[in-house]
Amino acid sequence: MNALIVLAAVLFLLMTIIGGKKGVRSFVALFINFFVLIVAVFMMTDPNADPIILTLIACAIISCVTLFFINEINIKTKTAFISTFLTTALMLLFIFMVTDQSMIHGFGEEEVEEQTIYSYYLGINFVKIAASVIIMSTIGSITDEAIAVSSPMYEIRKHNPTISRKQLFFAGMRIGKDLLGTNANTLFFAFFGGYLALLIRYKDLNYTIGEIINAKIFSSEMLTILCGGIGVALIIPVTAMITAYVLTRPQKQKASG
Amino acid sequence: MATLIDWLKNINHRFWWIIGGLTVLFIASLIFVTHNAMFYQQPIAQIVKITDETQTEVADEHQNQDIVYTQHIVAKLKNGVQKGKALTLTNEYSESRAYHPKLTVGQDVFVSVDSNDSGQLKGDITDVKRDQALLIVSWIFIMVLLAVGKKQGLYAMISLAVNAVIITLAIDMYIATSNISLLLIMSGAVILITVLSLVFISGFQAQTYAAAVSTLLGTFVLLFITMFVLWLTDEQGIRFEEMAFLSRPPQAIFMAGVLIGALGAVMDIGVSMSTSLFSLYEQNNAISNKDLKASGIEIGKDIMGAMTNILFFAYVSGTIPSLLLYLMNDATVGFTFSMNLSLELTRALAGGIGIVLTIPIGLYTTIYFIHRKRVKA
Repeated sequence: MNALIVLAAVLFLLMTIIGGKKGVRSFVALFINFFVLIVAVFMMTDPNADPIILTLIACAIISCVTLFFINEINIKTKTAFISTFLTTALMLLFIFMVTDQSMIHGFGEEEVEEQTIYSYYLGINFVKIAASVIIMSTIGSITDEAIAVSSPMYEIRKHNPTISRKQLFFAGMRIGKDLLGTNANTLFFAFFGGYLALLIRYKDLNYTIGEIINAKIFSSEMLTILCGGIGVALIIPVTAMITAYVLTRPQKQKASG
Repeated sequence: MATLIDWLKNINHRFWWIIGGLTVLFIASLIFVTHNAMFYQQPIAQIVKITDETQTEVADEHQNQDIVYTQHIVAKLKNGVQKGKALTLTNEYSESRAYHPKLTVGQDVFVSVDSNDSGQLKGDITDVKRDQALLIVSWIFIMVLLAVGKKQGLYAMISLAVNAVIITLAIDMYIATSNISLLLIMSGAVILITVLSLVFISGFQAQTYAAAVSTLLGTFVLLFITMFVLWLTDEQGIRFEEMAFLSRPPQAIFMAGVLIGALGAVMDIGVSMSTSLFSLYEQNNAISNKDLKASGIEIGKDIMGAMTNILFFAYVSGTIPSLLLYLMNDATVGFTFSMNLSLELTRALAGGIGIVLTIPIGLYTTIYFIHRKRVKA
């Protein structure tokens, strides 16, 4: 039997037993998100499509699924969604500049050596694709942090309706700060685990520190970690600001949440 | 906008001093990194002039169209015995930039100097110098984390740095003593990282112990289940031979990667469970175990979807360029997926199993520690 299917079955079983209906929804959401990612990849094979715009749309759908399908549509998830979208758009511009300047786009020497039978003249923009990869790697984290900040802010406002916009914003910042470390850690370990083979290879082949730092694959991994960290930090003030604004709007304008 | 200005005003003077100090460090490190060629063994040259650029349109057998540009470059050596001398280089890049970058004047590149019989130096570009870009982004990272997280931002960075050092040392140890299994060494690193990180976050107290025990149990149960499933299914469907950057047997490296990769997420769950249950207990010392269990499961339900999602995207997104390469070279969808996704999906699923299992593990471990506290009180 296929190991992947067995592992997926084990995960499904555990999520159902422990998470009940919400567990099942979380599992289904993983599959929908996977599907969205694959569709985005297929659309990127068209040289006329802009990978950045495709990524932005894919990220919007992914955070919709994560926020509205696993949870539900309410004022908390709506503000989290707006914050995620804004942060993603902002980060994409920044990361595009980073990938262009650092020239980490495309395939590394090690990868090209392993796949010599393929043509690399593909006509699609790999600078933009490198930016897509980085933002997609962190979209799960950014979305999670947005809801983790907006949800308690909503509770604070509920228990304390007279709280000012400014106080609410600072409350959100405090909540976010406490999450910053663990979220950065989660991403950090995931990337490190994925690149363990690369690090061992560098050591085995006696690369000097200078060679490692300047190698395309290593620097692109480092930049992914750094940009991920910037993303999970940046989502905190963005969410705190938007949620504080939305929750303290004058009552008559307030749409039903 | 008004809140942003208020927030900026709220930052105190000491903080501005720190910002000032960091700015000085930033400028100093930037100067260093632009003038550090002498510390490199490999020859480095700075591009002075791009004399000529020609372009040819190419199409491969899969109807992909691209343009190949050839740049003829004059560069000046920045280190070594021939420092200051000019040399000519050529760089070939495609419109899609799937491999070589487009070079611009002022860029530093690593070169190998070829011939100097006619007095004219010629060379080949081996790679681009990226340390400057890496440094600038590192500084942006530091600034953003400090600006948003202040003290917590600093702690987060210290913790990341310590963890990176531990993993690097563990790899060094593995290379130095290759008769000890990588999995064993990484397990040791995992224990050390968990204990250090958690004590660093919340000090020596019952909830730290609860979080540490749940994290370690969760991580090792995840490892055990994954190994068991792989053994049971004879590793069918998993393309270990496709693992990139290999210099050693893939299975051991892969399992160690699974262990390290899931650690952050599992630790996050362990901390969330123990912190929230302990705070419920602090609020109401008489809370029953049954109520604690019910709340714990609710908390777990809320975080499991988000955490599995985080790991999933962190792993799978990296395969996008290879997926594109295969698909555009007319590989079949089945072949493309099985070659590129099997390992990453295994990692994501194994991590997901660890995350979900850590919820009940964290729940019962924390209840045990709360119980111990009750007995003592």
